[in-house]
Amino acid sequence: MKTWWQRLYGWVNDRVHLEDLVEFLGKKYVPVHSHSVWYYFGGVSLFLFIIQVVTGILLLLYYKGSDTLAFESIQFIMAKVEFGWLIRSIHSWSANLFVLAAVIHMFSVYFTKAYRKPREMTWLTGMLMLGLALAFGFSGYLLPWNELAFFATKVGTDIAGSVPLIGESLMVFLRGGEDVGGATLSRMFGFHVAILPGVFAVLLGIHLLLVQRQGMSEPLGMENSSEAEQKTMPFFPNFLLRDLLLWLLVLNVLAVLAVLFPWELGHKADPFSPAPAGIKPEWYFLFMFQTLKYIPAQVLFVDGEVLGILMFGIAGVLWTLVPFWDRKSSRGEQNRLVNYVGIAVILFVIVLTIVGWLA
Amino acid sequence: MSMDEHVPTPPQATKRNFLKYVLGGGLVAWVVSVLYPIFAYLKPPEEGEVEVSSIKAGKVGEFVKDSGTIIRFGNKPLILVRLSSGELRAFSATCTHLDCTVQYRKDMGVIWCACHNGRYDLTGRNIAGPPPRPLEEYKVIIQDEEISISKKV
Amino acid sequence: MNIRLMHASVRIMLLAVGVSGRVAFSQDQCFTCHEALGDVPAAQYKTSVHFLRGVSCAGCHGGDATKEDMEEAMNKAGGFIGVPKGDEISKACARCHADAAIMIKQYNSPLPRDQMELLGSSVHGQLSTTGKESIAQCTSCHGVHGILPNNNPRSPVHPLNIPTACASCHSNAAYMHAYDPAMPIDQLAKYRTSVHGKRNAHGDPKTAQCADCHGTHGILSAKAVKSQVYPTNIPGMCARCHADPKYMKGYGIPSDQFKKYSTSVHGKALLEKNDLGAPACNGCHGNHGATPPGVESISKVCGTCHALNAELFSTSPHKKAFDKRKLPECETCHGNHETVAATDALLGVGPEAVCTWCHGKYPDSRAYHVAQAMRGLIDTLERSEKDAQARVSEAEQKGMEIGEAKFKLREIRQARLESRTMVHSFDENKFREVVVKGLGVASVVSAAAGKEIDEYYFRRLGLAISTVIITVVAVSLYLTIRRMERKHVFPLSKN
Repeated sequence: MKTWWQRLYGWVNDRVHLEDLVEFLGKKYVPVHSHSVWYYFGGVSLFLFIIQVVTGILLLLYYKGSDTLAFESIQFIMAKVEFGWLIRSIHSWSANLFVLAAVIHMFSVYFTKAYRKPREMTWLTGMLMLGLALAFGFSGYLLPWNELAFFATKVGTDIAGSVPLIGESLMVFLRGGEDVGGATLSRMFGFHVAILPGVFAVLLGIHLLLVQRQGMSEPLGMENSSEAEQKTMPFFPNFLLRDLLLWLLVLNVLAVLAVLFPWELGHKADPFSPAPAGIKPEWYFLFMFQTLKYIPAQVLFVDGEVLGILMFGIAGVLWTLVPFWDRKSSRGEQNRLVNYVGIAVILFVIVLTIVGWLA
Repeated sequence: MSMDEHVPTPPQATKRNFLKYVLGGGLVAWVVSVLYPIFAYLKPPEEGEVEVSSIKAGKVGEFVKDSGTIIRFGNKPLILVRLSSGELRAFSATCTHLDCTVQYRKDMGVIWCACHNGRYDLTGRNIAGPPPRPLEEYKVIIQDEEISISKKV
Repeated sequence: MNIRLMHASVRIMLLAVGVSGRVAFSQDQCFTCHEALGDVPAAQYKTSVHFLRGVSCAGCHGGDATKEDMEEAMNKAGGFIGVPKGDEISKACARCHADAAIMIKQYNSPLPRDQMELLGSSVHGQLSTTGKESIAQCTSCHGVHGILPNNNPRSPVHPLNIPTACASCHSNAAYMHAYDPAMPIDQLAKYRTSVHGKRNAHGDPKTAQCADCHGTHGILSAKAVKSQVYPTNIPGMCARCHADPKYMKGYGIPSDQFKKYSTSVHGKALLEKNDLGAPACNGCHGNHGATPPGVESISKVCGTCHALNAELFSTSPHKKAFDKRKLPECETCHGNHETVAATDALLGVGPEAVCTWCHGKYPDSRAYHVAQAMRGLIDTLERSEKDAQARVSEAEQKGMEIGEAKFKLREIRQARLESRTMVHSFDENKFREVVVKGLGVASVVSAAAGKEIDEYYFRRLGLAISTVIITVVAVSLYLTIRRMERKHVFPLSKN
């Protein structure tokens, strides 16, 4: 007797011929080795992104994106909508966890050199998505229209404005005007719920497609070990079930955070009042923010802030292009330089983030 | 199938089934625990939003001529006065002397503070008694018989 | 007769008569001549303190007092100014009176020297309606030629004469109207009804008159912050006399009013918090007609601000009872100068309650029971308010949204205020009505706060339950994976 899902599968299969796909999926294997654990972070990032989309859509049903109503609409969600407090806190916490997971995923790929040929495009789409994740964070942060967010946006767009040549236009583009105001909120809302998700979805689709097509990368040197030593496990159902288990635990972590450490709302933004002391951006921008503070106002003939931005810009570009300047890995050789650079960057980011937090 | 229909299930099979039931049951419980909040969230709450930048105070017809009513604006009390002419005016209801709540006195035609006999005329100006400052006036807008009160910028 | 002949005949007369008085014949020729002429100012001058101290006519009018010859003596080139007009008058006085060298060294006078300066910045120093000079000159109050010391009963600025001196302008409607049509002109009349005015009329120089309160030369408008009669300055000013036991000896009234007032609600409000709505001495006693309010009118006086309390009292059974026994209405329970902030402790039959002062002797009386009941009710309301506040605080602290309940707390506070006012009706039913309303609001607030607190715990419970469910699913999922892999000999090799 066929079960109901078997009959459903049969009906669809008659029309779309899924057998090839099913066979392909059945043959997917995930390498098992000492660094396998890092494989999970891509999935966790995906899971958290899905959480963001779901909670984001739910919030959209009650959020109002104008400067007179935004703050109050979130108050409404937190106080009057059933479980609104939960949805909102999960959304805010998950945003941070998503960035963290994506960063860990990115570093693990970096250190295992998984970006090497043939996976350069996967790395590129991933780096672009990481950039978009930060953009999601920046645009979403303003949406509650509270004091902290207002001034953080002001400072952030000011910094964008000091990029040479295009800075001014960029700032006006981001702000929807000369100053941060209702127009900025509208823009950020549009970026956050329409433009960024659209672009991100395309990149994500490419990224996942590539991963499916090319399979998981193995650490350098694994090709040299014997066949017997190269252990694997099937993607369906083993790795997937493990993935789901981890996702379940992550969901629980989110629930705990949302209930025990609810996300604050603070005071409504007042453009006429002075900035509160000690304005800081969110933690994932802190290291850049703190570095800019340390650069002197003038370095030779260049404005300090501009120098800082250019430095970070160039560093980011170089980092993104690592598959192209790391020839050794493409050839299968170990590249210690890449490791050292990576460790240096991690230390730099962590130290400056901590300093920025304590300041 | 054969004659052995009542083969006792080996212990492993029992454990297997138990685990399957626990997993299945757990999954169902989990799905419910996720879907229930979402569905509850989707149901719109009864009370309208309380916006602190402007509030809806009700319909014009609800307010009798030549009377005053205390209403809530965020966390502040306001006094909504309907004059004999029918005009509606709103002021802060916190007396500028020592923060008591004022009231409308129909017999005196003024806004009055019971604490120390302070008086304000119907433009909010302090005209008698200890109050040192007038009452802050709020903007009243009427659209389709609905009263909206907001801060005067 | 021509002037030269007159001059000569005077000299002969004087030679014949001889010269009397302290001014040597050679010194004040002006006076000599003018007196002989029968000049009225000269006759007045003879009585004045300036004459007695040896100040010649030239001292004010300028010129040369040693010269007999009129043209030499009254020579403009020699400094003669004739009859000074307008501000020149005060300037002439100030030429000596503001000069330390002259006043101290030459005349050894204890008089102050800042009169001109004070007058200039005072309300009297403003321009008069002519636009050419100040409203008042020195001579406006002190006289011209016959100036006497202040302690001389004939001086217009002697304490007993000052009221009439000031009233010569200030009670003149037509004159005052030109400067300030709204200014009252009945101060003197009112003053004469007051204790101060009556004593002044009977010849008591110690009692307060216009200058004591308003100042002498530096008189400022009552609306000026530095004025002696600005509300925050009034208590201290009255205390200058009324708080000095030695000064007040013999008048038969206490001298502790200022001390008591400073500790009172009104005193603290006015003197420490600068609340101009609080009464100074004149708020209850009046300004010019200063008299302590009569026993039956005390509630009316207090009622100018405490309108409701007074109204309720006046229609309560206490009004008739108090008046019959000549008890000073509000003051009986609340004190007069030392009125402290009224608390619930004043009500009832407890140790600090005032009701027991009269009703304590009759514990079976209805009044006793009413007092007891009212205190019980108001205590319940206080407890309810505290409880509601505590719950709202707890909910707030737990991070719950509690704005509306917090707003309603005001209503409970309002109910307590209203009940404290309603005490003065001494009507148990009316009182109960107000309290019950407050209790209703308090229970609503407590319920709302309680609901939020419950929600807080509900969330944690929900978390615990979901965690349990997830743990169950996770563990069983893990076991399922393990079981699955054991069966399929996992991990597989690549092929």
